[in-house]
Amino acid sequence: MNKSYLYIFLCVLLMGIGASWVINTANESHDIPIIKKVPNFNFINQNGEFFSDNHLKGKITVLDFFFTNCPGPCPIMTYNMKSLYDDFSNSKEVQFVSITVDPKNDNIEVLKNYAKINGITDERWQLLTSDLSNIKSLKREGFMLFADELPQGHAIKFILIDDNQNIRKYFDGTDEASLTILKKDISNLVKELKRYEKGT
Amino acid sequence: MKLFRIFSYLSTCLTYFLIFVGGMVRVSGAGMGCPDWPKCFDRWIPPTDISQLPDHIDPAKFNIVLAWIEYCNRLFGALVGLTITITLILAYKYYSHIPVIKWSLTVAFILTLIEGWIGAVLVHTILNPVTITLHLILALIIVMLLLYAAQESYYIENPHAEKNSKYPLNINWAFIVLGASLFIEIIIGTEVRGGLQMLRKENPLLDSNFLLYMLGPFKYMHTILGIVILFLSIFLWVKLVKQSDSPSEVVKQSSSLILVLIFLQIVSGEILVFIKVKPIIQLFHLWFAAIIMGLISVQYSAWKKSQIANE
Repeated sequence: MNKSYLYIFLCVLLMGIGASWVINTANESHDIPIIKKVPNFNFINQNGEFFSDNHLKGKITVLDFFFTNCPGPCPIMTYNMKSLYDDFSNSKEVQFVSITVDPKNDNIEVLKNYAKINGITDERWQLLTSDLSNIKSLKREGFMLFADELPQGHAIKFILIDDNQNIRKYFDGTDEASLTILKKDISNLVKELKRYEKGT
Repeated sequence: MKLFRIFSYLSTCLTYFLIFVGGMVRVSGAGMGCPDWPKCFDRWIPPTDISQLPDHIDPAKFNIVLAWIEYCNRLFGALVGLTITITLILAYKYYSHIPVIKWSLTVAFILTLIEGWIGAVLVHTILNPVTITLHLILALIIVMLLLYAAQESYYIENPHAEKNSKYPLNINWAFIVLGASLFIEIIIGTEVRGGLQMLRKENPLLDSNFLLYMLGPFKYMHTILGIVILFLSIFLWVKLVKQSDSPSEVVKQSSSLILVLIFLQIVSGEILVFIKVKPIIQLFHLWFAAIIMGLISVQYSAWKKSQIANE
């Protein structure tokens, strides 16, 4: 009788090991794939300070391209970005970056004003500008997005970047459904980041 | 006859294992691993690579790991269904004159068909929480019917198994209250888990322990009913093992095993509440509950048998 209990115990143990493996594999399969690394760049923000790819390190970043005079999708994108900015106001690990595609008009003063109008009060949301050629190449080669006919031809994507400067996913910056998924993905990346920090 | 015994035990064990696999699908979030039913991504064998997806299916839905977990659940479910069918045929062949065996297996078979259909409904309703719980409840009923038939066939071959045992008479109520409590406890348990999942969806940044705190009364009901179950099973153990004349091995072992498993349930439950909501512990917490349910039914059948034998 004792022997059969031993067999049952071994079976249950094996089931436990098997199930743990399955659950782990399933969890890992939910991970968001790494698309590519963000290349080097060094732009200027609304306060006239430098902001480079180094500032992406250790943070979860949502990045988009816009311009202040944009009549079309930009106001919606900015509105959506603002709602993310508000939702994650308590997580210092999450930051937002909007790069202008109309540097001719959007100088530091204009960006600063745009920040003020949109209620950007801290460093968690950076509005960046640079030379048009730099912006174009970052957009085309760095983020693999359409970069002709700027500023009108700016993309409506929100780009999710992890703490190791890897591009993880692209989202439609104008629709609410994508935003819901984006929120969840940001949270997952933050959790991953925190787990990593705790682990080391 | 022997063949029937083998198949009735086999179908019981396999169904228990299937409940485990089903729980695994649940905790690993693989329920929608195959977006269609009964096929998986329009194929009888799920794709092993994204390039094998048919054109009309959105590749974003594809996750190879989840697809195969869900597919194994279905495949194993089909195997269990087949085993139950064979058991039913054998029951009609050998035990058609014994209604309890014949009818419990017939009902188990019909419920198995319904269970398969609910599996399809689950996929089509994208995992409606009520349907998930129903899926589990049906599985519990099926496994208990199978177990009951297996035990009855054992008593037919060993008619004197409970003859020498004399148990206290008036404990019918304890079995009923215990069984009902455990049944409700399992349903509340699935609500606790389902509620956690909903809260997590809406508050992705909060950790599980805080979510559990937000859950409030359900959690306390689960604990309170758990205490009732603990005391009733200790009561039955005392009555059946300590205060009986020569209790049978079946009764002694099942009564003791119930206590051991309830102890494990308390430990795993406390770990889930106070330390961490770990999927593997959730899985075993549910599975042990299902086994306790079966053991209570074994206990009850043995007690009942001895009452009839000693009349």
